[in-house]
Amino acid sequence: MDFDFSVITGHWHFLGYGVLVTLALSVASGITSLASGFVVALGRLYGPRWLKPGIVLYIDSMRAIPVLVVLVWTFFALPIVAGVTLPPFWAALVGLTVHLAAYAAEIVRAGIESVRPGQTRAALALGMSRGEILHRIVLPQAIVRMLPAFGSLLSVTIKDTAIASVIAVPELMRQSETVAGQSFQPIEVYTFAMLVYFVILFPVTRGVDRVYRRVAHLGRS
Amino acid sequence: MTLDWSVVWQHREALVAATGTTFLLTIATMVIAVPCGVGVAVLRLYGIAPVRSLATGYVELFRNLPLILVVYWAFYVVPILTGVGLSPLATGLAALALNVTAYNAETFRAGINSIRKGQVEAAMALGMSRAQALRRVVLPQALRRITPVLASTWVSLFKDTSLVSVIAVTELAYVAMQVRAQTFRVLEMLTAMALIYWLLGYPQAKLVDWIQRRYAVNE
Repeated sequence: MDFDFSVITGHWHFLGYGVLVTLALSVASGITSLASGFVVALGRLYGPRWLKPGIVLYIDSMRAIPVLVVLVWTFFALPIVAGVTLPPFWAALVGLTVHLAAYAAEIVRAGIESVRPGQTRAALALGMSRGEILHRIVLPQAIVRMLPAFGSLLSVTIKDTAIASVIAVPELMRQSETVAGQSFQPIEVYTFAMLVYFVILFPVTRGVDRVYRRVAHLGRS
Repeated sequence: MTLDWSVVWQHREALVAATGTTFLLTIATMVIAVPCGVGVAVLRLYGIAPVRSLATGYVELFRNLPLILVVYWAFYVVPILTGVGLSPLATGLAALALNVTAYNAETFRAGINSIRKGQVEAAMALGMSRAQALRRVVLPQALRRITPVLASTWVSLFKDTSLVSVIAVTELAYVAMQVRAQTFRVLEMLTAMALIYWLLGYPQAKLVDWIQRRYAVNE
């Protein structure tokens, strides 16, 4: 069996573009799902009563539906319902955000609930407002405790961007498929793609652990 | 916009069969991945040095790769490397099992490590062998902590089976998207697909919550 990795160097620009799109989609959907996750969790914890069943239903539904289904629906079915066609990248960003924000919201909720209620009561007794308590007392401790879970969510996010290949987002997975199909050298191309994903993901999982060990003491109470 | 939901009913038999395949894949993967996961975890914890690093390498590799890439890789690479052409179903099963085994191995390792060392030392001081201590003292407690994690791995796996649709395994996502392509009833079929996954996955997610509450560990 002969392997010829010149197919990688020959399509360097094409595959490199894929890596850039993968990174861009990961960072973008990481940020949007984190932000939406905070909003959803705060809505669930402190929002009006009528809002909560809706939020719970949303979160549990996203835990039940595969991300592939969410992405395909966003790209193919949403335009029929809403009348606007999103380009693949934006459809993927929307789909991933809708899906991952539910997970982020659960992380945020668990983090906030891990701060003992006695602290909130003490702060109330000292005359702080609800907003002040959240901002000064609860979140500084909660965020540190959320970090490891956010780290694993980030690696899930990066892995999920590969699924955006099914809606033709030109990220690494999709570009690899194209090159593999054109060159008839799937082994070399997919092995290269594996290597790139591993090189991106491994430092994330390891780095998160390391950073967390540095800051874990900040979240103790 | 005219919607024709009858298309879903017309293809009910294909959809039911596909749902069966989805469950079959989930169950078969778990049946393979639980014992293999235990094996890898034991090798990683108690094996000799080279075996240990091999097991660690395997776990780290598959936990840091997108599953969809593993599926493609298995589809193209396994037949060439082994010379055996597997069916898409078997290939999909192999890819899922490789992936879930790595996660399970990590779960089992964490579960075993979560039992304090003193317990094994105490058991050995009482005259038990290391294997006895593992079987009688560590594993019964570790299993209790592992159960909720395995349950959530199950739900993730149930959803991840949709990814083998890219190599034409006739499970739910693939069949629903095939019907969509044949009938052009895009909105109806995709919504039906999401709904079927929801109907099946929602109770499972709730069950996991219940198991997690039931098996919560307080030290």
